[in-house]
Amino acid sequence: MVVAPAARTWTGFTTAVRLGWAVSSNWTRPALFVIYAVLRPISTALILVVMYNVITGGRGNARTYLSFLIIGTAFWAFVNEGVSEFAVGILEDRGRFKMLKYAYLAPLRFPIFLVGRASSKLTSAAASVLIVLVVATVGLRLPISPLEVNYGLLAIACLLAFIAVMAFSIALSMILLAGRDAYGYGEIMAQVLYLFSGAIFPIAVLPGPLAFLASLSPLAYWLELTRRAILHGRVYEMFPNLSDGEVLLRLALATAGTVALGYLTYLWADRRARRKGYIDMDANF
Amino acid sequence: MGLGRVYKTRSETVTALDSVDLKIREGELFGVLGPNGAGKTTLIKILVTLLLPTSGTARVDGFDVVTEYRRLRPRISIVSGGENAGYGILKVREQLWMFSQFYGMPSGPARARIDELLERLGLADVANRQISGLSSGMRQKMNLVRGLMTDPRVLFLDEPTVALDVGAARDLRQEVGRWMEEDPTRTVILTTHYMQEADDLCDRIAIVNKGRIVIEGTPHSLKAEVQRDVVVDLQLEPGTPLLDRLREVEGVGAASVREEDGIDRFSLLLVDDGVLTNVISTVERSGRRVAGLAKRQPTLEDAFVKLVGRSMSEEEAN
Repeated sequence: MVVAPAARTWTGFTTAVRLGWAVSSNWTRPALFVIYAVLRPISTALILVVMYNVITGGRGNARTYLSFLIIGTAFWAFVNEGVSEFAVGILEDRGRFKMLKYAYLAPLRFPIFLVGRASSKLTSAAASVLIVLVVATVGLRLPISPLEVNYGLLAIACLLAFIAVMAFSIALSMILLAGRDAYGYGEIMAQVLYLFSGAIFPIAVLPGPLAFLASLSPLAYWLELTRRAILHGRVYEMFPNLSDGEVLLRLALATAGTVALGYLTYLWADRRARRKGYIDMDANF
Repeated sequence: MGLGRVYKTRSETVTALDSVDLKIREGELFGVLGPNGAGKTTLIKILVTLLLPTSGTARVDGFDVVTEYRRLRPRISIVSGGENAGYGILKVREQLWMFSQFYGMPSGPARARIDELLERLGLADVANRQISGLSSGMRQKMNLVRGLMTDPRVLFLDEPTVALDVGAARDLRQEVGRWMEEDPTRTVILTTHYMQEADDLCDRIAIVNKGRIVIEGTPHSLKAEVQRDVVVDLQLEPGTPLLDRLREVEGVGAASVREEDGIDRFSLLLVDDGVLTNVISTVERSGRRVAGLAKRQPTLEDAFVKLVGRSMSEEEAN
């Protein structure tokens, strides 16, 4: 029986999703995992909220900044989980399970395997976004109304950001694979991006060159559109002079740039890993 | 052809493969025999597209390993020994099925094939057991199932029986033989440093040492290299080191030694029986006592010692 290439790719992808879920969610009992998945994003958001309230004392336009902070933090889970899970997955498969070379040599395209392998964490990240937004709406009286959300804009922005994060994460994973002892760098990279993408403060407050670099990243435009789609007019805007369409155009261009750069980086890192013999290297994990 | 691989670090340059020329025929079980560090695994890694060569070219099943690796990968499979591979949290059948999906196998036939191979390798009882609960022998058998289930055109076995007990190693060898019998066009490339394994399994063998092919041929033809020599096992009680002095005796083609149960067991290749007198004289002058002496048929180990000048264990220690 012959299976069509597209069907084979889809089956391979869904199997990688299943593998990722089995490996990343099985470190504890299911009940504990759910508690962890719920409590972690809420606690992260609440810590920032408390810090913010203490520092501002509720003065001035504190509510619009609070909304800015919460939405940025909530959606950041996608980037954090995506970037770090890609990196952990690839290094774990190589160093701990010793299975990376077998997955790498399989006919399924390796980036598709990587995306599938990390998808379980992206799913739990999606859940954590919802949880944080619900808690913020109910507990912190964030003015979110499900009927007023611009779902079309939100979906397009999230799709483009998802593509950009995938491209970035795949490239980063391969860079880590092409290095020797790379464990932990995925999380570090996620934290660096955290500071340069407008998740917790506007990129305009960064020093000039850093603000320019941040303006090239699709993440700042994605978070801006996300905030506008959910709380248009009731949230601090990073790009008040740009319309939604203009921000979307910048997001699309930055995403295209990230995908192109990510692809070139992937090719370079893949070749370097094969040249150095790092794909099946005995590495510390 | 002319396959080479050099590893460079800041402090040194190591030549793992040095202009290797090798032609392996379809349907052959070809052995790459050599001590640890000889370059066997480097060769395999290049042939399965995990590693790029620094010079030369290689084709597997007609495809260039550097430029046509995407087309080649679905046609090959590799099973490595001694690495304890597996997602411990998964069950045996579950992991195998997942990899069948990464190879694009239809799910139903894949499950049937997996069950068939698990049965043949004596793993049917542990098919639903977590991989973390398997012994290393069972894990290696499971990895062999993964390697066989996709029916590759060329199967690479990299030291598949290393660190396995006798029974598990025998099962693995048997299954590889049976798998090849099923389809005479299937090809297996086996690396090993076990002489007996190479002798028992392989149609042809290449002896590799220090990144070079020393000799290539059938096990029979390699043993014929020492057929004209007189092969003697000389057992001596402990005493002063004697290997170098025995090698200097005129007419001794090659000599190696291994210690077993407190006795030094020398293997000597002599050009004729008459050399034995000089050997015994050398032993007597050293003050060491002879515990046993016997002539025997040559083995691949003898061929290796004659061709390389030292035993495989000496090469590894070096």
